Amino acid sequence: MTVRRFHAEIGTAIGTGALGLAAVIGAAELGYGWEESGPQSGYFPFYVGLILIGASLWNLVAAFLRHRSAQAHAAAGGEIEEPFLDGERLGRLGRFLAAMLVFVVATLTLGIYVGSAGYIAWNAWRQGGYRLPVALVFGIGFAAALYLIFEVAFLMPLLKGPIEPLLGIY
Amino acid sequence: MGNFDLLIHGFGIAITPMHLMLMVVGVLLGLVVGVLPGLGAPNGVSLLIPLTFTLDPTSAIILLSSMYWGALFGGSTTSILFNIPGEPSSVATTFDGYPMARAGQSTRALTLAFMSAGIGALLGVIVITLLAGWASNFALRFGAPEYFAVYFLAFAAFIGMGSAAPVKTVVSLATGLLLASVGMDNVTGEVRLTFGFSDLLGGISFLVVVIGLFGIGELLATVQEGLSFRGVSSRIDLRDVLRTIAELPRYWATSVRSGLVGIWMGITPGGPTAASFMSYGIARQSSRKGKPFGTGRPEGIIAPETADHSAGTCAMLPMLALGVPSSATAAVMMGGLMIWGLTPGPMLFATKPDFVWGLIASMYISNVVGVILVLLTVPMFAALLRIPFAIIGPMIVAICFVGGYTVSSASFDLWLVLVFGLVGYLFTRLDYPLAPLVLSMVLGHKAENAFHQSMILSDGSLSVFFSNPLVGSIMTLALALLILPKLLHLGGRLRRRQPVE
Repeated sequence: MTVRRFHAEIGTAIGTGALGLAAVIGAAELGYGWEESGPQSGYFPFYVGLILIGASLWNLVAAFLRHRSAQAHAAAGGEIEEPFLDGERLGRLGRFLAAMLVFVVATLTLGIYVGSAGYIAWNAWRQGGYRLPVALVFGIGFAAALYLIFEVAFLMPLLKGPIEPLLGIY
Repeated sequence: MGNFDLLIHGFGIAITPMHLMLMVVGVLLGLVVGVLPGLGAPNGVSLLIPLTFTLDPTSAIILLSSMYWGALFGGSTTSILFNIPGEPSSVATTFDGYPMARAGQSTRALTLAFMSAGIGALLGVIVITLLAGWASNFALRFGAPEYFAVYFLAFAAFIGMGSAAPVKTVVSLATGLLLASVGMDNVTGEVRLTFGFSDLLGGISFLVVVIGLFGIGELLATVQEGLSFRGVSSRIDLRDVLRTIAELPRYWATSVRSGLVGIWMGITPGGPTAASFMSYGIARQSSRKGKPFGTGRPEGIIAPETADHSAGTCAMLPMLALGVPSSATAAVMMGGLMIWGLTPGPMLFATKPDFVWGLIASMYISNVVGVILVLLTVPMFAALLRIPFAIIGPMIVAICFVGGYTVSSASFDLWLVLVFGLVGYLFTRLDYPLAPLVLSMVLGHKAENAFHQSMILSDGSLSVFFSNPLVGSIMTLALALLILPKLLHLGGRLRRRQPVE
C-alpha cells in the first residue's frame, strides 16, 4: 500500500479546515459580535477560524491543481508523482506508532514506570535483538532512572498505577 | 547606569558557583538533546521547564539558555560526523562539514564549526548588550495598539519572509492562535471552545504541543527513514585544534559577514535556520577561487555556523525587550518566563535588571564554557549515536511522554502529545512550518488582549492601528513584509519567463 503526497495534502487540508470550522461554530455559540464592553469572547476565535478555513481551502485547491499537472506530466512520459509513504516505510511507521499507542494505554492504566519499562524492554527484545533478560534490565534501569530524577531529585510525582503501592512506592 | 555598568553588575550575578554549575549542566544537557535525533532545542527546553519551577527565575533562565547553546553545538556535531543534522538550523553545516570530516579532517571541521559558533554567539551577545537599553526605552512608548502591531509584524514576517508556502504558514499561525484560545478567556472570563470536554477547561499547554510537534513528530520522521548512522572517527587531536584556531583569522571576512546576516535574521523573525542557509548561500556566491563548495571548504562551515549562533543569541533580544520571540526555542523560553511570573517586555528591564543582565552576562560565559565543553566531550556524545535506535528511540519517546505529563500532571496531556506528534510529522513532511504555530500559541493571549484593548480604545474601528506615526509605521512595515517578498519573487519569475517564451 502506498500513500501519495496528494492524499496526505488533501487529508491535512481537510483536517485544518475542520479545526477552523469547529472554532467558528464554538465561537458563534459564545457570540462573535459587539457588546457594550467591547468585542464578545467569540470575536477573535471566530475570525481566526474563518482565516483558517480560507487558507485550508486554498491548500486543498492547490493540492488538486498540482496533482492534475503531475498526472498530465506523468501521462506525457515524465516521472510519476513521488509517493508520500511507500509500503516499507508505512510498515515501519505503523509498527512504531502501534507500540507507542500501546505504551500510552499501558501508561494510563499501569502508570508511567511500568509502562515505560515494558515499552523499552519490548522494543529492545523484539526490534533490537537483545535477549529478554538484557532487555528487561534496560527497561527497569530506565524506570529506576526516571524515579531517581523526578521523584527523588525534583520531588515531582509521576503517574503511578496499581503495581507501585505493592512495592512500597507511593 | 550605562549598559556597561549593568553588564558588569550582571557578571556579578552570573559568576556564582551555583550559576556556573547550572551553565555546565545546561550545556551538557543541550549537547545530549542536540545530538539525539527527535530531541531538539525547542522541546529540550520544554521538557526542562517543569523542572525549573523550584529554581528562581534567574537561575532557571541561565539553565535554559545554556541548554539552548549546548543544543546548537550538539546539532553541528552530528551534522559533521554523521551527516545527520541534529537541529534544523545545522542542515547547512552538513554541506561542507561532512565532506571535510570524510576526508580525514574531522577535528579540523569540528573546531572550525565550534569556534565560529562561539564567535557568532559572541557577536550576537555584543549586539544585545549594545541594543538592550535602547530597545527597552523604545518599547516603553508602546500602548495596546503598538503591541498588537508588533505581534502582527512578527506574524507577517513569518508569512512573508519564511521559506515555506505563505498559505501554509497562515494555516500554522491560525492553528496556534486557535489552540491558544481554548479554555478560559482571560478578558471576559468565559470558557471557550472546550466543546464540553472538562479536560480542556484549563486550556492546551504550549509545552505539551511543542513536545509532541518537535519531539514525537521528528522521531516519526526519523523512523520512517530507517536510521543507519555512518559516522566518521570522532577523536579529537589537540594539535589539530590549535592549528585550526590559528587558521581562523584568514576567514575573518566570512565570519563578519555571516555574523551580520545572523544578527539581522535573529532580530527580525527570520530565525537561525533561515540565517544559516542565507549565510551559506552568500559565502558560496562571493567566493571566487579554490575548491567548489560542498567538497569541504572551510568557509562552507564557518558561514552557516557563525550565522546560526549569532541568530540564536540575537533571538533573545526581541523576546526580552518586546515580548516577541523570533525563534521557536525563544518562544518556548518566553512561555517559561510567563510561567515563572515574569512579563517579557520593556518593563522587565526596569523591574528585573538582575534577571535581564544576569542572563546577558551568562550568555558570554556559557558560550565560552560551551566551546570548551563541546571540544572535550565530542567523542562521548558521538558515541550516543552508536547506541542502536531500538534502544534510544523508545527512550526518547518515553522521555517525551513523561515530559508532557510533568507539565501539569494531567493524564489527558499524554493523548495530546500523541496527537500533536502525528500533526508534527504530517506538517514537517508536507512543508508546513512549525515555528509559527509555537510562536502564535505563546503570543495568542497577548495578541488577543492587545487587539481587544485597541478595539475598546477606538470603539471598534481598525483605524486605531494607523492613529499615530509609531503604530502606523509598524503596521506599514508589517504589511510590506507580508506582501513585498512574494511580490518581488513573482515579479522576478515573470521577468525570467519572458525571454524563454
